[in-house]
Amino acid sequence: MASKTKNKVKGPGFGAWLKEKWNDNSITDPLHRTRYLQNLVFKIFAVSLIIGMCFTILYPIIKLFPMVLNDVEDLGNPDIVWVPKTFSLVSFKAAIRLVYGNFSIILWSLLYAASIAVIQVFISAMAGYVLGRIKVPGGTLIFFLIIVTFVVPDQALLISQYLRFKNFDIFGIFTALTGGPIDLINKPVTLYLLSLFGFGLKQSMFIYLFRQFFMGLPKELEEAALIDGCGFYKTYFRIALPNATPTIMTVAILSFVWNYGDTYYTGYFYPEGPFAAVKLSQRFAASQSDTVVTAVQTWFDKPAASGFAFDAVKQAAVLIFLVPLLIVYFCVQRSLVENMEQSGLVG
Amino acid sequence: MKQEANVENKPKKTRKPLTFATTQKINGYVFLAPWIIGFLLFFMIPIINTVIYSFNKVEVGDTGGMAMEFVGTNNYFDLFNTEVSTQSQQFIRVFTDENSNVLLNTPLIVIFSLFCALLVNAKYKGRGVVRVIFFLPIVLGLTIVTDLITVSTGGDVTAVATTATEESGFLMSLFTRVGFLPESVISFIVGVISDIFGIVSKAGVQTLMYLAALQSINPSLYEVAKIEGCTTYETFWKITFPMVGNTTLFIFVYTLVDLFLASKMSQEIYAFAFQSNKIGVGSALSVCFLLNVLIALVILVLILTKVVKLDYGK
Repeated sequence: MASKTKNKVKGPGFGAWLKEKWNDNSITDPLHRTRYLQNLVFKIFAVSLIIGMCFTILYPIIKLFPMVLNDVEDLGNPDIVWVPKTFSLVSFKAAIRLVYGNFSIILWSLLYAASIAVIQVFISAMAGYVLGRIKVPGGTLIFFLIIVTFVVPDQALLISQYLRFKNFDIFGIFTALTGGPIDLINKPVTLYLLSLFGFGLKQSMFIYLFRQFFMGLPKELEEAALIDGCGFYKTYFRIALPNATPTIMTVAILSFVWNYGDTYYTGYFYPEGPFAAVKLSQRFAASQSDTVVTAVQTWFDKPAASGFAFDAVKQAAVLIFLVPLLIVYFCVQRSLVENMEQSGLVG
Repeated sequence: MKQEANVENKPKKTRKPLTFATTQKINGYVFLAPWIIGFLLFFMIPIINTVIYSFNKVEVGDTGGMAMEFVGTNNYFDLFNTEVSTQSQQFIRVFTDENSNVLLNTPLIVIFSLFCALLVNAKYKGRGVVRVIFFLPIVLGLTIVTDLITVSTGGDVTAVATTATEESGFLMSLFTRVGFLPESVISFIVGVISDIFGIVSKAGVQTLMYLAALQSINPSLYEVAKIEGCTTYETFWKITFPMVGNTTLFIFVYTLVDLFLASKMSQEIYAFAFQSNKIGVGSALSVCFLLNVLIALVILVLILTKVVKLDYGK
């Protein structure tokens, strides 16, 4: 039984392998047999577990394809589950027409995510460097406050932040200049302001990551630079920052992905902006179901399209939304683990 | 800061230049300045304002200013006694539901991600492919994706829907047949299993962090354990688990905060404040939400510091 199962894994050279195993003491010898069998059972268990988990993770994606490639009128037919009877791209066409238009919205979202990621990396690295490396009075207090800002959920501050941006004013400067506070809601500058001042999406965590990294970095490099006559800024930009590449990569990737998919900051502070995530969540809110189905029925002459068509269009839209992210993910995933390992989170 | 610089500049003219430590401090504050300004503008003032709003009846005036009227703790009483949330439930119900949900799911997600990291960290053929798949939730776990990827209207395609119920029915009967667990525990387990994607989709970053932590453990520790004859089980509890203690604490905190962010309570804040225009009640909810998260965190950290050995040196 035991050797039979192993056969599947091994494949070629089975005869020789079996002979070797047969003559091997570890099977016939009762002392070793238990351990050998235990190992084998454990291996089979682990392999099936890994395959099962992979399947669980991929299942929603796998299930997308029959749904979106099916003809919208065939959806809901219990005879057609995995293989579509007639292939059609109506769901994709509808999704593109409903949400993406000429795809400029995706480009704008990518551009937004990238620029915010750059700002977040820059600001977080500065703060993290000082907290991890330079002894400033009150540094411990500031670090404690960063932990506090990390654990305080953004939504708890939503109302007050929203009203603040609605009537934006810094210590009365704007009232003095223009005669009244300015309305910053629905302007892109709001989002950049938040990131610029260290309160973008999950930015406290990024600062924490940088601090941990700079704490672990050997001091000698910077000391040498200082002795050789580099100033504070030159040391930072020429020595500290280039050495922080792993953390910069990690933070940049996470920041990019999260900002691309963010609907909180973009949705509340700039709801009319060109953000694919926000537009998706607005267009495919549960209450919009009828509109979408009607659109599919009239645009593509599919009178029999039912509520399932809404799901199909929705999933096609998500698939298009995911494409740039997946491309980025497959490009960087190899370095992701190595970077994270060196990024200092581990301590 | 300018003043400080000036004060320091005076002696420079006469005798000695700025000491090294002082320039470091000044430059340090320059680097921290954006965050400090941001902290005051976007954190401190909003948090104080939220507390103030929660004790007032707030109305937005015609000119855009705000009219406030002090009502004491009425907003808080309203929130828990009279107000009804968007799902037309008493608010206290949403509160308890979400809390139990978060507190149950946090350890599940953390354990699951540690488990995933161990699987990915082991050496076998095809590990690269498995890694690619296991970290996919970093991308797939975005709220917008998990929200939209699931089928919402009119149930699933019928056949799939029936298999799903059959599966959980099968599990139920299996567990009851074995018959040493109480019904509530079984239904909890079955619930977890059928919502496995919910857990998987939230465990992406945590798995990444755990993997990083696992890889930074000194391999010679494992060598010693092997020579001394430890079993895999013992090695895990004596070496792996203590060595990832710091990371565990961080991941627990991260997961808890993340789950609270995604909870229904946070959406209720928006619903109260801007859809039904009760800024006062919404603010009261914000304050409760905030206290809730902080209390949950303190309890969590207190428990964890008892279980996990922490390295305070860092």
